[in-house]
Amino acid sequence: MKEVIKQLTEAFGPSGYESQVTELISNMVKDYADEVSTDVLGNLIAVKKGKENGKTIMFSAHADEIGVVITHIDDKGFLRFANVGGVGIASLVGNRVRFGNGTIGVIYSEKGDWKELKLDKLYIDIGAETKEEANSKVRVGEFGIFHREFTDLGHRVVAKSMDDRVGCAVLIEAMKQIENPTNTLYFVFTSQEEVGLRGARTSAYTINPDLGIALDVTLTGDTPEAHRMEVSLGKGAAIKVKDSSMITHPKVKELLVQLAEDGNIPYQMEVLERGGTDAGAIHLTRDGIPSGTISIPCRYVHSPSEMVDMRDVQACVDLVLAVANHDLDTL
Amino acid sequence: MDVKQIFRKATESAGVSGYEEAIGAQIQEACPWADDIRTDKLGNLIMLKRGQGEGPRPRVMLAAHMDEIGLIITKIEEDGFLRFSTIGGFDQRVLLGQEVVVHGRSPLIGVIGAKPPHVQAPGEQKKAVKLEDLFIDIGYDDEKEANAHVRIGDVVTLRRDSVELQGSFLAGKAFDDRAGVAAILECFKALDSLKHMADVYGVATVQEEVGLRGAITSTFGIVPDVGIAIDVGFGDSPGLQEGETIKLGEGPGIAIGPHVHPKLHKKMVETAEEWNISYSLDPSPHPGGTDAYAIQVTQAGVPTILLSIPLRYMHTPIETLDYEDVKRTGRLMAMFIAGLDNEFVEGLTCF
Repeated sequence: MKEVIKQLTEAFGPSGYESQVTELISNMVKDYADEVSTDVLGNLIAVKKGKENGKTIMFSAHADEIGVVITHIDDKGFLRFANVGGVGIASLVGNRVRFGNGTIGVIYSEKGDWKELKLDKLYIDIGAETKEEANSKVRVGEFGIFHREFTDLGHRVVAKSMDDRVGCAVLIEAMKQIENPTNTLYFVFTSQEEVGLRGARTSAYTINPDLGIALDVTLTGDTPEAHRMEVSLGKGAAIKVKDSSMITHPKVKELLVQLAEDGNIPYQMEVLERGGTDAGAIHLTRDGIPSGTISIPCRYVHSPSEMVDMRDVQACVDLVLAVANHDLDTL
Repeated sequence: MDVKQIFRKATESAGVSGYEEAIGAQIQEACPWADDIRTDKLGNLIMLKRGQGEGPRPRVMLAAHMDEIGLIITKIEEDGFLRFSTIGGFDQRVLLGQEVVVHGRSPLIGVIGAKPPHVQAPGEQKKAVKLEDLFIDIGYDDEKEANAHVRIGDVVTLRRDSVELQGSFLAGKAFDDRAGVAAILECFKALDSLKHMADVYGVATVQEEVGLRGAITSTFGIVPDVGIAIDVGFGDSPGLQEGETIKLGEGPGIAIGPHVHPKLHKKMVETAEEWNISYSLDPSPHPGGTDAYAIQVTQAGVPTILLSIPLRYMHTPIETLDYEDVKRTGRLMAMFIAGLDNEFVEGLTCF
C-alpha cells in the first residue's frame, strides 16, 4: 500500500485539474471494477456490481489537492499567485511549487514582519530573468501544487496531498479485496473537494445511493500544545460524529461503530470543529442520503508534510470492507 | 388537544441538530390533524393534510425546524470532567451555571462549572468565560467511570422546564423553533374547520441550526408550489433598536425581502387585514438564516415567504414569547391556505 500512496501523493492534481491522478487511479483499479468512467466534472467512478437485492453504496475520496494559481507575472519574471483551497500561509514561505508541465518554483516573501504575512506579499521565483522567459514556462491562470516527495518513516508516512490521496489509496486497496459484493459499490474519486465539495455533489446526484461514505483525513490533537481534539495517530480509524459540513446520521454512526466493534477494528470517535468532507455534499443530495465519514487521522493537514499512520490506514480499509459487505436493510 | 401543551412538552424534550428522532416521534404522536405522516431519510417529519376537490391541487409546504442548538462532548478529562463544543450558535455567556443532560449510554444530568469568583484574576469576572475553559461535571471523579457512560461525540442539551410568565407569556429553551412547529399544528387544527383546496405539507425540519439542511432535502422531496417558513424573529427588548425587532403580542412578522415572493407577501398581508389578525411588517434584507432561503432555491425555484414569531433572548435557555402570537401565526396561515386556488398559484410564476 505504501507504494500506491507514494505514487498517488507524488502525482499532480490541484482542484479542477485532477486528470493525472484519476488516470493513475483508473489504471490501478480497472482490473477490479465492472465499469470505470469519468463524468463531466472529472470524477472517476468505478463500479463493482452487487446482487439484485443489494443496496447501493457510494464511497468517495477526493482526488484533488490544494494548490496555488498564478495571477500575475511581473517584468522581472516573478509570479504572484492566489490560493486554491485552504493553503496555510505559514507553510508556503521557502517551499517549492510545481506546475503542470513540471516547472518548479520557490515561494518567498517581500520584506516585512512575519506576523503580518499575507498571500499578496508572497511571490514565486521560477528562475526566470524576464517576463518573457517566465511566460515561456508558465502562464497566468496556471495551477501549481506543493513539490514534495513521499517519505517512509516506518509505521508513519509523510507526503504532500496525503489529504486525500491516502483516502483514495484506502478505496483502491478495498476494491482489490472485495469479490462478489452483495451491495452495488460505487467508488468515486471526486474532483474539487477542496474548493467546496463540488465533485461529490454532482456524482452523488447521478448515483443517488442508499448510503454515502466519505474517506478523508481528519485533524489530530496529539501534537505539542495542539488544539483540544481527541483524535490521535495510531489509535485507529476515526468515525466522524460531526464537522462543519455534516452531522453524521446517528444510525450511520452507530452502524460504523458496531462494524468496528464486531470486526475488532481499532477506531476512535471524531468531533471536528472546523472543516468538511464529501459526505457534507452527499447527504444533502436530492431528498437526502444517509451518509457518514471514515477519517484517516492526519497531522499537519494542508502543509507539504502531512503525516498518517499505516496502522490507521489499514483500520480504515478494514472498516470500508465491513461496510461494503454489510446487509443495509437496517438503515 | 391543546397545542400549547404539546409545545411546552416538546420544548422540554431533547432534539439537538442531527438527533431529532425522539422529538419527531413525540410531535407525530401528538398530531391528530394530519391525513398522513412520514419521516424522510434525514429525519424531517412530514405531515400531510389533503385539500378538498379534484386535482391537481396546489401544494403548500409549511416548514419550521424542530432541532435545537446544543453541545457535544469533545474530551473526557482524567478527573472525569467533560469538555465540549457547540452545535449551532449558543450565546456562550449563559452556559456557565446551567444544568444539562448528557445523552450518553443513558441520559445523565450534569452541571456546567468554572473557576469560582474568589480565585479569579482581577478583571476576569468582567469577561465572559471562554468555551474552552468551561466543563461539565456529571459527578464522576475519574476518567474510567466517565468513559463507561459517556463517549466522545455524545450530545448535550440544556435541562430546562418551560414556565408561564404573566399574561400569555412563556419562557423556556428550544422555543426557537418549536414555536414554529406549534404554529404549524395550530394551523392544521384550524384547517379542520375550514374548506381548503390545497394539499398542505407541514414539515418539522431537521438541522436548521447547522445550515438549513433538513429544508434543503425535504423541499426537494415535496417540490411545493408555495413555501412558508415559520421561524422566530428578534422580539423587542432593552438594548435592541426598534427597527431591528418585532413586538411580542402583536402577531407574526410578515417578512419582505429578497427571499419573499412579492405576491405571497401581498396576499399574506391582505389575509391578515381581512381576518383582523394582528401582524408586523418585517423587513428582511438578507436572505439566508432561515429555512425560507433553502426552500426558495430548490430545484427550479419555489415562491417562498417567511413568517416570524417574536421571540426574546434567542439562543438562551430562557427564550420568551407570547403564546397568542403562535396562535395568530397558525390562524393566519390557515386563512391564507383557505384562500388559495390554482389560479393564484399559477400567477406566482410571473412577477
